[in-house]
Amino acid sequence: MKIGIVCPYSWDIPGGVSAHVHDLAKALIDMGHQVSVLAPAEFDELLPEFVVSTGKPRAVKYNGSVARLSFGPIAARKVSRWIEDGEFDVLHVHEPLAPSLSVLACWAAKGPIVATWHSSMDKSRMMLTLAKLAQTAMEKVSARIAVSEAARSTLIKHVGGDAVVIPNGVDVSMFNNARPMFGWPGPNQSIVFLGRGDEPRKGLAVLVEAYPEIRRHLPNVRLLIAGPGEPADELKKLSPSDRASVTVLGMVAPEDKASVLASGTIYVAPNTGGESFGIVLLEAMAAGVPVVASDLDAFKRVLDFGRAGLTFENENSDDLAKVVCDLLANPGVREKLSAQGVIRAAEFDWAVVAQRIVNVYESVRVPGVKVEPDLTGQMIGRLGRGRITPEPRGEL
Amino acid sequence: MSNEVIFWMLGVGLGIWYLSHQAGRLDRLHHRIDVTELALHGQLVRRGGIVAELAAVPGVDPALSVLWGQAAHEVLILQEVTQRSLVEDELTNVLLMTMDEVEEVNEIRTNEYASQLLDELAQVCDRIVLSHQFHTDAVRDCLEIREQYLVRIFRLAGHAPRPQTIEFDDQIPPALADSRIA
Repeated sequence: MKIGIVCPYSWDIPGGVSAHVHDLAKALIDMGHQVSVLAPAEFDELLPEFVVSTGKPRAVKYNGSVARLSFGPIAARKVSRWIEDGEFDVLHVHEPLAPSLSVLACWAAKGPIVATWHSSMDKSRMMLTLAKLAQTAMEKVSARIAVSEAARSTLIKHVGGDAVVIPNGVDVSMFNNARPMFGWPGPNQSIVFLGRGDEPRKGLAVLVEAYPEIRRHLPNVRLLIAGPGEPADELKKLSPSDRASVTVLGMVAPEDKASVLASGTIYVAPNTGGESFGIVLLEAMAAGVPVVASDLDAFKRVLDFGRAGLTFENENSDDLAKVVCDLLANPGVREKLSAQGVIRAAEFDWAVVAQRIVNVYESVRVPGVKVEPDLTGQMIGRLGRGRITPEPRGEL
Repeated sequence: MSNEVIFWMLGVGLGIWYLSHQAGRLDRLHHRIDVTELALHGQLVRRGGIVAELAAVPGVDPALSVLWGQAAHEVLILQEVTQRSLVEDELTNVLLMTMDEVEEVNEIRTNEYASQLLDELAQVCDRIVLSHQFHTDAVRDCLEIREQYLVRIFRLAGHAPRPQTIEFDDQIPPALADSRIA
């Protein structure tokens, strides 16, 4: 099958959606399908060969975080040309309401279109507005997938219609045999945080607030912070001795993520909201690291309601400190959680998940019918064409 | 006076734009229904084909063979589209009846070729459930617009026949899915 996948977020910075698209594309290629991914990316030379870039993305505030998106006439023109040249059997767009390539692709194409909804949004008014604006594009989507129950209920509530729930996948093999970084966790215990340090909803502030209390009970604990974004502002609140026990790694390459996670005695996910799934939780579980997470619905589901990981009351740093101290003091519980976590993560292996997604493709695909350009939707693209001299097709 | 003319012209212009917008939406939705319906039919015919093949596997219990063969035959020779629900229901029924226990299915699976066909059947049944849902979604979205007052008055749907959901039982035999994991 020839499959075109559209990722609305920047390929340069690893994030939930772009990681999902990357792993899905690889799993599909392993199954023998032909895949082309369209995504905004700044550095062309670093791209895997199945990715087509629409150029440098722009940073925009969207759904509570800074998103790197691609839009405007040039992007629209590239999207429609990619669709024209691709002759796809199925077009699969991700996060179709993000003001980026996905909605442009829906506009510019007709035929078998599949859309995956990732985020659950609390801001219902924004969702409503977006859904109304993108209505014409959404109505062309034949099959809708939600990555979680939370994402599905957001969709039902604000957009209408239903979706099939197919969870995110994890490349279990990549994490199963992860080795910790040199010197970690070391003779003492360590806590790992992974995520954007400068983004409030990732909850680093909650962890930093709980940290002195944890250190009071367990003075030798260390904290490892990994992920893009500078957490310096948060760390200023710590006393010098506490601050000295914190290591900040900055952005980690995807292939190093496994060993960063494995460097922790435990992994803490203090996210305060806006999460619909929690892929990192599964990755930590696959690496055999016990997980402590805030009690968001999505996280509770992933953790199998306490069987595969512990939760604390969201935004309550006292509760976080208590749960972490109990777990660090109790090797028996850690061992049990670690074993359960590995089993739970295997249920989300990409090989399993990708097969289900292929079933969705097959259920909307018609042999002989390709995804075609749809001229009625291309007003923005046509405006763009007028102003920009077309480049040779081969370069796309 | 001239103000009034401009006002009316604007109003009429907006009205025309709105109607053409709705007509465009209807057109896209009809297209979506066509595609999903074709896909669903494709999967249903595949299911019929697999069951017919299953019936013809040498060494399969003759009673099962007759039941499967007959139900699949009805699906494959279907002429009247109005009969589709009936024959698909019948085939689902036969499958549910003959594959209601894991031991029975595992018995069939002792034949390697039959086992392969059962794997394919499980996949197709899964796809039929999805296809069916997507088609129903498309029809519902379309009807929602077709029932609007202005759309009916101005006959924006043109000559396109009123879309209909395809009703049939799409249950997957539980033993079929379970035996696949075992």
